Amino acid sequence: MNKLRIAFIILIGIIFFSACEKDDICVEGDTPLLVIRFYDETDTINTKNVTTLRVVGLDQTITVNTFSDRTSADSLAVPLRLGTTSTTYLLIANSADEDEVEIGNTDTLTINHETKEVFVSRACGFIANYENLTPSLETDTDNWIKNIEVISSTVENSETAHVKIYH
Amino acid sequence: MKLFHQPLKTQKQPMLKYTISILFLLCFFNGWAQDEPIDLNPQDTIVRKQTYGLRVGVDLSRLIISQTSEGYSGLEFVADYRLKQKLYLAGELGNEKKTKQEDLYNFTTSGSYLKLGIDYNTYENWYGMNNSIFIGGRYAISSFSQTLNNFQYFDTNRYWNPDSFPNGSSEAVEFDGLTASWLEFVFGLKAELFTNLYLGGSVRIGFLVNNKEAEEFPNLFIPGFNKVTDDSKFGIGYNYSLTYLIPLYKKGPKKNKGEIEKENEQ
Repeated sequence: MNKLRIAFIILIGIIFFSACEKDDICVEGDTPLLVIRFYDETDTINTKNVTTLRVVGLDQTITVNTFSDRTSADSLAVPLRLGTTSTTYLLIANSADEDEVEIGNTDTLTINHETKEVFVSRACGFIANYENLTPSLETDTDNWIKNIEVISSTVENSETAHVKIYH
Repeated sequence: MKLFHQPLKTQKQPMLKYTISILFLLCFFNGWAQDEPIDLNPQDTIVRKQTYGLRVGVDLSRLIISQTSEGYSGLEFVADYRLKQKLYLAGELGNEKKTKQEDLYNFTTSGSYLKLGIDYNTYENWYGMNNSIFIGGRYAISSFSQTLNNFQYFDTNRYWNPDSFPNGSSEAVEFDGLTASWLEFVFGLKAELFTNLYLGGSVRIGFLVNNKEAEEFPNLFIPGFNKVTDDSKFGIGYNYSLTYLIPLYKKGPKKNKGEIEKENEQ
């Protein structure tokens, strides 16, 4: 009889332990950022820094959290807006305040995109990839952005540039 | 093995024995406490026949969880047929529907499964007892569909959505025509509660052989197999069966050489 009892105990034990699961923490992936690189307008092979660049999302009160505000850089990574088909950023070159008024040159860049969900893992669930990137620049009297070129129309990672901006 | 030669020692610890006995009492029915007396008469001429038949029943755990858990409904029929003294043909047929809310998505898996294989009883019953501790193997197949009910995008950047993860589609998308097959190792036991009525339990370790899944959404749960873990082919399941034996015929155990010689001497 004892053998039967011991077996019962073992069985119950296994069932209890089978309820334990490995910690489901998402480490496998994340929704990528859009990477923009700034190139020289005349010497189109070389990158060129934008001085004291400030990047603000349209209708946002704070500057984008992926770029240190008012620094000079030749590349920029920004999050695209999920749940809509377009994302608009105000790119301000030579940004500075004078009497609390922005005196930099503001260009408005709108990027249209399609969103595709990609399943990463049980813990992460779905991330977004973007397809059919089509940037458009709002023309004003004094655009500092001269030309825009899409290198990769799909955004699957944040490692390489997707859009080139000439200035 | 030494332990078995020290029966006096255990008797000197009645308290310990008592505690363990109570533990058993709390866990299980002590339905098998009364046994047939052992026949020690070597002159006995009665042929000890064993009952052979078909044992059918249901899985109690799936029935109970269906009642208590909101996102689950399932039913499993179990059956085994005694082929030899220790060998049984065994199988399970079931249907499961499970809705699971993960952190950022919600899905429902629904489908049926069939498992077929053998059980081998390793328990030496005294005459009249019909309990078993068995190991077994199954080949199982499942046909099911998976529905992604809704999801949110995982995005660690909160610039555009500071309060929550942005919503993806809330329109349910069904992926059907999914199939899986797996091999299962079974360890379990069955105890006769009353004549021909058995209570049993088993744990199962499954190894996925074939898993046809949608490209957009992998199979996270397979009916009969249970949860599918990332990058692993193993799954764990269990059941608690209540079964009834339909006796079909009786057969004595095969006589070994020694017994036959003994009979000839007489």
